[in-house]
Amino acid sequence: MSQKLQLNQLKKRGIFQQSIIIDLLIWAFLIITALFVLAPTIFMFTASFMPANDILKMPYRWIPKSFYWQNFWQGIRGNDGSFIYIRNIFNSFIVAAVVSATTVFFSALAGFGLAKYYFKGRNLVFMIIMATMMIPFEAIMIPLYLVTTKLGLQDSYAGLIAPFLVNAFGIFLMRQYFITFPDEILDAARIDGASELMIFRSIILPNSIPAVATLAILIFKAQWDNLLWPLLVVQSEEMKTIPLYIVKFMAEKHTDEGAMMAVAAIASIPILLVFFKLSKYFLGGAAIYSSRKG
Amino acid sequence: MSKRNTKYSIERKKAQWGWIFITPSLIIFSLFNFYPILNALYTSLFKKKLLSLKPPTFIGLHNYAYLLDSPDFWNSIRATVVFTIGTFVPLLIFSLLFAVFIMSRKRFQKFFQMAYYSPAVLSSVVAAAIWLIIFDPRGLANQWLNIIMNSPGIDHNWLANSIMVQLSTILVYGWKYVGYFTIIFIVGLASIPKSIYEAAKIDGGNNWKNFWYITLPLLKPTTILVSIMSMLQCLKTFSTQYLFTQGGAPLAPINVITLNVYHTAIRDHRIGRASAMSIILFIMMLVFTWMQFRSSRADEITY
Repeated sequence: MSQKLQLNQLKKRGIFQQSIIIDLLIWAFLIITALFVLAPTIFMFTASFMPANDILKMPYRWIPKSFYWQNFWQGIRGNDGSFIYIRNIFNSFIVAAVVSATTVFFSALAGFGLAKYYFKGRNLVFMIIMATMMIPFEAIMIPLYLVTTKLGLQDSYAGLIAPFLVNAFGIFLMRQYFITFPDEILDAARIDGASELMIFRSIILPNSIPAVATLAILIFKAQWDNLLWPLLVVQSEEMKTIPLYIVKFMAEKHTDEGAMMAVAAIASIPILLVFFKLSKYFLGGAAIYSSRKG
Repeated sequence: MSKRNTKYSIERKKAQWGWIFITPSLIIFSLFNFYPILNALYTSLFKKKLLSLKPPTFIGLHNYAYLLDSPDFWNSIRATVVFTIGTFVPLLIFSLLFAVFIMSRKRFQKFFQMAYYSPAVLSSVVAAAIWLIIFDPRGLANQWLNIIMNSPGIDHNWLANSIMVQLSTILVYGWKYVGYFTIIFIVGLASIPKSIYEAAKIDGGNNWKNFWYITLPLLKPTTILVSIMSMLQCLKTFSTQYLFTQGGAPLAPINVITLNVYHTAIRDHRIGRASAMSIILFIMMLVFTWMQFRSSRADEITY
């Protein structure tokens, strides 16, 4: 009996040692791949502190010798000394903020209507809205561009914002969130004499902050990143957004890698800060897609 | 009787409010989604030039016939398909591996999730700017690859060679989005009940067996979702390819459909032909979306 027990213990130890090796291998894999994934971002920040001819030296120095602040000055000042980058950053903020706000507002309205009101044709409307998710922006960008020019909205905030006022995914997300909201609370408010708009404003909106934040961040990020539409619709330097400024800077200052990375770092710092502060909404936003079939 | 009447009117009032709530969105959708896609379909049947005063002439399906006969467009389809398949296969494998390994750790789960996800936060223009410098002949990519392959001083032509430049775009895209799909897999993994693994433990399963016979089959819906989603995203890739060509890479190997649409419309001013291209892209994506809906319906899993 005791022999058998010992044997069992030995066996267990063997498996245990084997699992330690596998365990270490998994740690090594995770750490090495994570370093590889992080390396380009770290490269951007370190290179933004270096003069151009230090950046392409072999081997690369991951810790800058000194802080070469001129890169940031160069990047912000621009090639013509017009400081247009500041204006372009402001434009990006305006567009991303307005688009987030309108998307959240209209999505919440429509999502609420679809989740909590029963009317003829509701399912059809929902299906039609979901169908717009299948239309890729890339397929409609040219008609959109023609319409925008015809309305005289090219090269303006209105033109940058208009196509993104609401999106189907936002409506879907809000609808899924509101469906679980208890009807009793809404009915109680109605009995107390609240109008439907009041219910939306003082019960629904305050109680949907996680969904609102997730959607707002998702949209803000997408707009901050948007290249294709501004590329079509913007002509003047004053109306350019950050991605367009970077494209122009890349074309003009191809050899000044330090200033290039400074420009990129400036564009990334706000969104990275938001990411570290509100990472659960970023990760949550990615995760929502997996419930899309619902 | 009167009670029923009031109830009926309350229902009607509620129905009205439902319409009021969705009307703004419906108007916006018709203006900026339905009208443009119908317009694209319509325009694709015309010979139309941007900025031209001549009225567009109806040419039927000639634009489509031209495209299906054009080696340039077939090259775009090839570039798009190569990019899509070349990106989504490694993306799938790595995000699954990352998710499984992260979930097997007891500590630092959050740290690794954030580390892998962080490139997705950077904008694609910033990503391309960084990688253009990394792919410089004197840059990090050559340095590292030469260390790994022990081949000092060799330039691997990341941006010049037509095969390497395709690989480079795939690398940038995979790097940027692997964390995104890792998170989706983690959500899928988290929804598998622990009791299943406990039952397997009693039956004498080890980690490897668990992975093959429990995790992978139960993750099938997530895997299909990730595949279709990443394929759809890859089909409409634009920024990376656009910026690489701006940075001096050759156009032909990475001239994906969206890039071709952009050039045809904005540089060549051929609106009709560009619209036909975007309709073809739309149909390709519709087929994939249809596959997604079909497969996700067929694969509902209950635990």
